Amino acid sequence: MNNKMVQLVAWHEYSTNVRRPGFIFATLLFPALGLIGLIVATFFSGQAVNILRNQFTPDTIQKIGVVDSSGLYTPVAERFANRFVAYSNEDEAKTALGDSKISALLIIPSNYVSSGAVTIYTKDANLSSAVSTDTTNINPFLVNGLLKDKVDEATLARVNRPATTTRLTLEAKGQTTPEANRNSFAFTGGFIVSYAVTLLLFVSIFSSANYLLRSISEEKENRVIEILISSISPLELLAGKVIGLGSVGLTQVVVWIASSFILSGGLAGMAAGFVIALNPLTFLLAVIYFVLGYLLYAVIMATAGSLGTSMRESQQIAGLFSFVAAIPWMVNGFLFVNPNMLVARVLSYIPLTAPMMMMLRLAIGQPPIEDIVGSIVVLIISVPIFLWAGAKIFRSGLLMYGKRLSIKEIWKVLRSA
Amino acid sequence: MLDPVLYVDQLSKTYSSLIAVNKISFEVNRGEVFGLLGPNGAGKTTTIRMLMDIIAPDSGTALVLGQKPGAMRHRIGYLPEERGLYRGLKVRETLVYLGQLKGMDKKEAEKKSDEWLARVDLKDWGKNKIQELSRGMQQKVQLIASVLHDPDLIILDEPFQGLDPVNVEAVRSIIRGLRDAGKTVVLSAHEMSQVEVLCERIALINHGQIVLYGNLKEIKKQFAPNAIEIAPPLSFEGWGEVLRAEVIDGKQKVYLTESATPRDLLKKIFERGMMIDRFEMATASLDEIFVKVVKGDTHE
Repeated sequence: MNNKMVQLVAWHEYSTNVRRPGFIFATLLFPALGLIGLIVATFFSGQAVNILRNQFTPDTIQKIGVVDSSGLYTPVAERFANRFVAYSNEDEAKTALGDSKISALLIIPSNYVSSGAVTIYTKDANLSSAVSTDTTNINPFLVNGLLKDKVDEATLARVNRPATTTRLTLEAKGQTTPEANRNSFAFTGGFIVSYAVTLLLFVSIFSSANYLLRSISEEKENRVIEILISSISPLELLAGKVIGLGSVGLTQVVVWIASSFILSGGLAGMAAGFVIALNPLTFLLAVIYFVLGYLLYAVIMATAGSLGTSMRESQQIAGLFSFVAAIPWMVNGFLFVNPNMLVARVLSYIPLTAPMMMMLRLAIGQPPIEDIVGSIVVLIISVPIFLWAGAKIFRSGLLMYGKRLSIKEIWKVLRSA
Repeated sequence: MLDPVLYVDQLSKTYSSLIAVNKISFEVNRGEVFGLLGPNGAGKTTTIRMLMDIIAPDSGTALVLGQKPGAMRHRIGYLPEERGLYRGLKVRETLVYLGQLKGMDKKEAEKKSDEWLARVDLKDWGKNKIQELSRGMQQKVQLIASVLHDPDLIILDEPFQGLDPVNVEAVRSIIRGLRDAGKTVVLSAHEMSQVEVLCERIALINHGQIVLYGNLKEIKKQFAPNAIEIAPPLSFEGWGEVLRAEVIDGKQKVYLTESATPRDLLKKIFERGMMIDRFEMATASLDEIFVKVVKGDTHE
């Protein structure tokens, strides 16, 4: 294979495709939407903050009225004075509620300790009143009244908040990972960034493969293909296109990532850097699955491009393979429950679904080492087989004008030396 | 004797149940314009594709510039029958890319593109997109792409297809120029008139087999009818030597019986005191030979 020719085709494909209006539009659409979102958020966030501040300013917070017949809650303890106000009788309190001086009314009967029954009045049956009278808000007030003279402050605090948990992960070699390295931010941030990277890689693979499909299909449709393969071998042509159009897809993703870094004021970059630093092996594996996945789908799309008699027909053929590639995304929801479930493991060993399935599993959890090694081995074996078969079909399909290779003919091509 | 530029021996190719090319053999010598003729579907394009290493033969041998097909790609110029260009690319940009694929460096490809565009009156079209060119102009660009890298062997598959007379002459002139520059040209065509004026030797393929092969003059002599061309036209009614006579474009063609000779006819014309300005042996046109051979072929 002549590397100079491969480079020439790659550069031609790259420079031609990044100038296409469709590419420029698709590449700039993402940052443009981000920018619009940022402008909208900046404009409205000031107003939103004001609205929220107004809602929660102490002056405007409406208190809950209390009519206490048990004697446990009056006078209202100092620490609850900003939320509760006592009324001497029910009529007075109901008038206050009717006049919107209080948001709710809590009636505590004299037999409260034995019955546990209280009554809550609200003016409107809406979300706001439901939230304000939620037991999470009222319970500490009730607990405090029950225990205030019976236990010390520390015990009272413990009753209100029984535990602050520390989570440790027992590693394979017996050591534990301290909470500092496994806090919720690291987990959530890691998941979001890994998931976003997986999604970007998925988009990148398919946008590149789609460019490849379109490029070959167009060259076949406009009859330039025979001039090309009289100058260079089909394999050189295929290799050049895979590299050139793969770079087109990567350029798109790089622009998207760069724009998200800039628009987030470097926050996305910091988060991504943090996750990569935290899981360098996961990142390395994602790169491996990306490269192998791209090669596999590039060959498939190139072959589909050579088989169709028109762009539309080629896209229909390619659609079958895109559907298979999307299967991991269909079972994605179940992975949150068990990333190592049987279906996910089986899909990790099937060449067409392995790259996506493993990237998703890496984003969600830690797949077993045998699945990682096994899926990579399957892909490493599959790529040359697909390349060999694809190149043969590609060569035969390229010159079929107005007629598609039948399954029988494809089989004959594959069987020929 | 010079080594043949093309050497084909017993070359065969079968598609499913169709024998596209069946044990054909021929040679093309350096510096000649060779005609590869045949009706549509005869096997010409399949033969050319095997020579260009685009498809592999089932059996037989082919040597192109002394090497296996595909080994000398950069020294061959090829204008395929199914041809087109990148419609959205500019003319000069397209030529430079295709020149580079043939091993030229970029500057050389740019220089040669400019020279060729000027030569075929497309100098001002270099910055235009291919889709803005007329069909004839596009065909000229395709022809330039096949000769830009100064190849030793140029294979042109149906180069006159779809061209108007002006562009036919332009392409013919380019082919003559290549021949004069010592290049070897293989011309596949079904327009016999073009082949007749350009080729020294031909191979006629029908149903995948060579049915006629050799020097064009000798072939035409071999197929010459026993006939005379006479002007002005005369009446030969009742003449025993004459089978039939027909007048086309003011010229009369007189077909003689098998036993009659032109001398017998000339003698009788003089004896009868008939006046003639022209009396010459008729030859068969390549068109007539083509039709005769193809129709006479029993491989239906």
